[in-house]
Amino acid sequence: MASIINLKVNGKTQEHLIPDAMLLVDFLRDRLGLTGTKQGCDGGECGACTVLVDGRQRLSCVTLAKSVAGKTVETIESIETKGRLSRLQAAFHEKLGTQCGFCTPGMIMAAESLLRKNPAPERDEIKEALSGNLCRCTGYVKIIESVEAAILTGEQA
Amino acid sequence: MNKPLKTNGVGARTPLIDGVEKVRGAAKYTADLAIDGAYVGRILRSPYSHAEIINVDTSRAEALEGVIAVVTGKDSPIPYGIVPIAQNEYPMAQEKVRYRGEPIAAVAAVDAATAEAALELIELTVRELPGYYTARESRAPDAVQIHENKPGNLERDVHNSFGDVEDGFRQSDLVVEDEFHCEEVTHAHMEPHAAIAEYHPERDHLTFHSVTQVPYYVHLMLAQCMQMPQSRIRVIKPFVGGGFGARTETLNFELICGILARAARGRVRMVLTREETFLTHRGRPAADVRLKLGLSKTGKIMAVKAEMDQYGGAYGGYGIVTILYAGALLNALYDIPAVHYDGYRVYTNTPPCGAMRGHGTVDIRHAFDTILNRMARELGLDPLEVRRINLMQTPTETPNGLMVTSYGLPEALDWVEKASGWKERYGKLPKGRGLGIGCSHFVSGAAKPVQWTGQPDAVVNLKLDFDGGITILTGAAEIGQGSSTIVAQVVAEVLGLDYSRLRVIASDSAITPRDMGSYSSRVTYMVGNATLHAAEKLKARLIRAAATALETEPENIECCGETYRVIDSQDKGIPFDKVVQTALIDHGAITERGTFTVPKEFQGGKHRGGAVGSTMGFSYAAQVVEVVVDEDTGEITVEKVWVAHDCGYALNPLSVEGQVQGAIWMGMGQAMMEATRFHKGLPLHANFIDYSFPTMMDSPDIEVFIVESMDPNGPFGAKEASEGGLAGFLPALAEAVSDAIGVEINDMPITPDKVLDALTRKRRQAQRKRVSA
Amino acid sequence: MNTGMNFELNAPASIAEVVEQLANKTGARVFSGGTDLVPNLRRRIGTPPVLVSTDGVAEMKSVDLQGDHLVIGAAMPLAQLLESDKLAGFPALLQAIAEVAGPGLREAATIGGNLCQDTRCLFYNQSHWWRKSNGFCLKLDGDTCHVAPNGEHCFAAYCGDVAPALLVLGAEVRIAAQGKDRWVSLNSIYEDDGRSHLLLKPGELLVSIRIPLKAAQWRSGYLKSRLRKSVDFPLAGVAVALRLDNRGISHLRIAVTGTNSRPLLFEDFSVVPLSITDDLALSAIDREIGQSIKPMRTTNLPGLYRRKMVAVLGRRLIEGLTAPTGKNGV
Repeated sequence: MASIINLKVNGKTQEHLIPDAMLLVDFLRDRLGLTGTKQGCDGGECGACTVLVDGRQRLSCVTLAKSVAGKTVETIESIETKGRLSRLQAAFHEKLGTQCGFCTPGMIMAAESLLRKNPAPERDEIKEALSGNLCRCTGYVKIIESVEAAILTGEQA
Repeated sequence: MNKPLKTNGVGARTPLIDGVEKVRGAAKYTADLAIDGAYVGRILRSPYSHAEIINVDTSRAEALEGVIAVVTGKDSPIPYGIVPIAQNEYPMAQEKVRYRGEPIAAVAAVDAATAEAALELIELTVRELPGYYTARESRAPDAVQIHENKPGNLERDVHNSFGDVEDGFRQSDLVVEDEFHCEEVTHAHMEPHAAIAEYHPERDHLTFHSVTQVPYYVHLMLAQCMQMPQSRIRVIKPFVGGGFGARTETLNFELICGILARAARGRVRMVLTREETFLTHRGRPAADVRLKLGLSKTGKIMAVKAEMDQYGGAYGGYGIVTILYAGALLNALYDIPAVHYDGYRVYTNTPPCGAMRGHGTVDIRHAFDTILNRMARELGLDPLEVRRINLMQTPTETPNGLMVTSYGLPEALDWVEKASGWKERYGKLPKGRGLGIGCSHFVSGAAKPVQWTGQPDAVVNLKLDFDGGITILTGAAEIGQGSSTIVAQVVAEVLGLDYSRLRVIASDSAITPRDMGSYSSRVTYMVGNATLHAAEKLKARLIRAAATALETEPENIECCGETYRVIDSQDKGIPFDKVVQTALIDHGAITERGTFTVPKEFQGGKHRGGAVGSTMGFSYAAQVVEVVVDEDTGEITVEKVWVAHDCGYALNPLSVEGQVQGAIWMGMGQAMMEATRFHKGLPLHANFIDYSFPTMMDSPDIEVFIVESMDPNGPFGAKEASEGGLAGFLPALAEAVSDAIGVEINDMPITPDKVLDALTRKRRQAQRKRVSA
Repeated sequence: MNTGMNFELNAPASIAEVVEQLANKTGARVFSGGTDLVPNLRRRIGTPPVLVSTDGVAEMKSVDLQGDHLVIGAAMPLAQLLESDKLAGFPALLQAIAEVAGPGLREAATIGGNLCQDTRCLFYNQSHWWRKSNGFCLKLDGDTCHVAPNGEHCFAAYCGDVAPALLVLGAEVRIAAQGKDRWVSLNSIYEDDGRSHLLLKPGELLVSIRIPLKAAQWRSGYLKSRLRKSVDFPLAGVAVALRLDNRGISHLRIAVTGTNSRPLLFEDFSVVPLSITDDLALSAIDREIGQSIKPMRTTNLPGLYRRKMVAVLGRRLIEGLTAPTGKNGV
């Protein structure tokens, strides 16, 4: 069974004929070539595939593409502005919030979702909000420091 | 202590040179590469633990529309393996399967659904044999042999004695022996395994992309198993999402992907599921350790005797090396006059184990340092002080022939003692809160490579051409640890240049020189030294060119990065670009080659297997762990870790901190929750829910202090930074739990149920004492 | 790249259309969030030809005061419920929702989906290859329970966090089917059978949940045992609601999740009313619950530990809720 879906991805309207059973992560990666969104597990366990749907974090590997028809999807590729890194991206780079980089897009999108809701979260709130995003390299210390640095940048801006 | 902050070159806190791509989502990992026209490759895996293969009938699968190729063990009759003398694994099973999940056949098809459907059509006829899942079962007298040439299912036993151990125990005031069991753990790198193989029938040429840590081994093994000349293979490593040792060996799916691509006469893309990534495994084996330690009443270590069983899984892999490492690195941390070690690497019907961060050292270090902590208490001594008593006098050669030339453990102990408030707080915290200490070490690259070729350990080429940019060509595999950044820093430092003039191309066999790859923390030390060598040669050449341009002798020229001038002159000199133009006259593009070779005297003892554990520079780490233990639920919360790591010299302090934090945290996962576990050889935890490793909410602040012992042979004094701290976490946690609630737990991981069981045992013992008193 | 799934997905805009499709499309199943269902379908646990989504039904995505009840639409995502101020009077519910999985999953997961989630077992939540290699199991496609091989019973555990909180708050659920629409107690939709723990019949839809407003007069809380502080399902979860009078606890309800194939509600304790310092009475409660729960080797910590946790968490909740500051939960 296939259907035509309309949705907005990274600001662009998309119309596609897709199988009803297609996962959002496969739609983004295989159809739109947005490979910044990663798949790290067999479904809903690691957060690497985190994207924003209508501005809120969602795991695209357990989301059916058809179920977000009519909605707005944002991926890691949309977060920079005219080639300038967002404050989260810049902080993750400068503070070594990324090592191998595989969890990074999902981690940044989850942090983005948090900062949109709560521009000045405490450390405990950061840890809670990102706790569904697993990382195997950093021990998380520098990820938390990256998010905190981005918050400071935002406050100074 | 406060060094001036650098912004460039070595010693500067340098973000990863490939970091921008990662945060933009632009970094391409293997599964992200263009896939137009690629066939989908899928693997048929054994449902049996141990069975003779009678027949594999692929005819129905081959007949399915959309199936391009089907391959089986018949297409892969050549064995492979990481240790040249112990290659006993085949890309796909031959006459027997030896673990559940072992590849038997593979399909290339036009799409994933067809490939899946084809797998179901392959008919397997077998005669089942008994499966063995623990060392005890495998070593039982009546056990069927898993491998024909390995009676008793022993892959390798090691028996080494240095010094007079029995005399050491006789002279000890306290001797304690205990048993420890550590469960099997696995790397769980975030990126699932993937490979893309493209075969050109006309050229008989294979282009191969994979997630490997060692592209060179993949290249060798593809050539060996496919019986192709190495010159017709090109191996490229894209971005890699972590490794931790899993991707050091060439893995079966890589070889199958190559074999499938040739059979399909085209391009095959193979992306494994998370479950399959778990099945591919190569993690740290489950281990039983019996360890006996003798101390004088002042706390001096007199002798140690250790026996270890490792449940190695179904194939050799790294097994021989792992069992040797465990014994060898009982040495070279503390001063120990007498060491006896019996190691048994046992075959089991489970996925093959391999190298994992802290290779071979972790479980036995847990046993050693845990007993040391307890004995210190029993003697009324401070466990931290006992370590000071047992520091080595360096430089030294250990009884088993390991060279120690730099040793920052004394300073590391000083810092963790002070930072954690150890003296004031250890043994004095309120009930439920405790501190513990552990020390550990690791090699900066194995002094003797597994594959002996007579070639240098590392070669780096620097290419300089008309554009004034320097391309650093290295085979060192960047897997997230920051190796490409390190080589750029070294070149920037030597030549005084900005990163804008530098680019790093890593791990493409068509372009970059052969490298042994990223394992056993060899890259900073060996590739760093080779880079240093190349950069100094390039600098000398540029100085000669500047001398020509300035009509003087090279010894009169100083390099100031973007300008070269006559030493002490008021002249503003000539710009770098002009120097380059001069250097290119009559010569053209310049390639300077730097090499590094470990001298023989560092290659370990003369005894059999004595090379394992040898290195030019050991890293050292001391750590103190603070926990809170809930006596009702048994839950342990790690509140803080203080770790001091001797990395010789921090080429990139930012990266050193990140590596040390990652290592400590991975030790924490093993110590608190990680375990693979099997049901009759089927992995019970082959996903990220059941193979639980810590989330952000479970993870403490890890404060890192960098000790710089300035290794005499490391590049700028540097040694490794990413493995040495891991092992110390396990005993430090066990001790912290003991300090908090007074129970001794030997087995890893220390899950809450074990804490409650230990508390129950303690209460019963107290009752028995009361009754008998 | 993900294979094995093939179905029709529909998202009608009304309850009537949802139940119509559930009734008339063979093998149709409700899709509400999908965070439990999709990972299962990816493992070929179930192959429904049709999924009927509740996401388009506005009526099922609201939280409203209706008379003496707070009514929560079953399609409300958990994360949005956490942000609603209307749940403030029911600390157990808020605490339970906050403990479900991790933050990303709570954005998609719905309260109705959480109540109806499948039971879990180490021998069941595995790939098709895995289950086939193991000869399948009693819960799906096989005839042996690998947890208790000699029995005829499936011990897969119900692991929803929200159900016990709602049970102690006296919640009811609205079940709709073609031509039928009724309120029943939440407790009545479950049965202690890992194979079919939901008593909803094919064609029936859990539309909404209602909590009596007077439940806000109870003190309530939820505690969860888990190996990690996020992501994990409960090893055991306990919800408690109680009322106090000047002698002690006058009313007490306890509900347990993670140990059996259904969430268990305990409310008719012979020792209640009791004094809060009456350790003997509290032990009697522990024993009574202990006799009913049956944690088996369905997850990665042993049953005995999970059994102990039920008692520990229950005690902890009762102590916290009866403490002078306990009015708003622990």
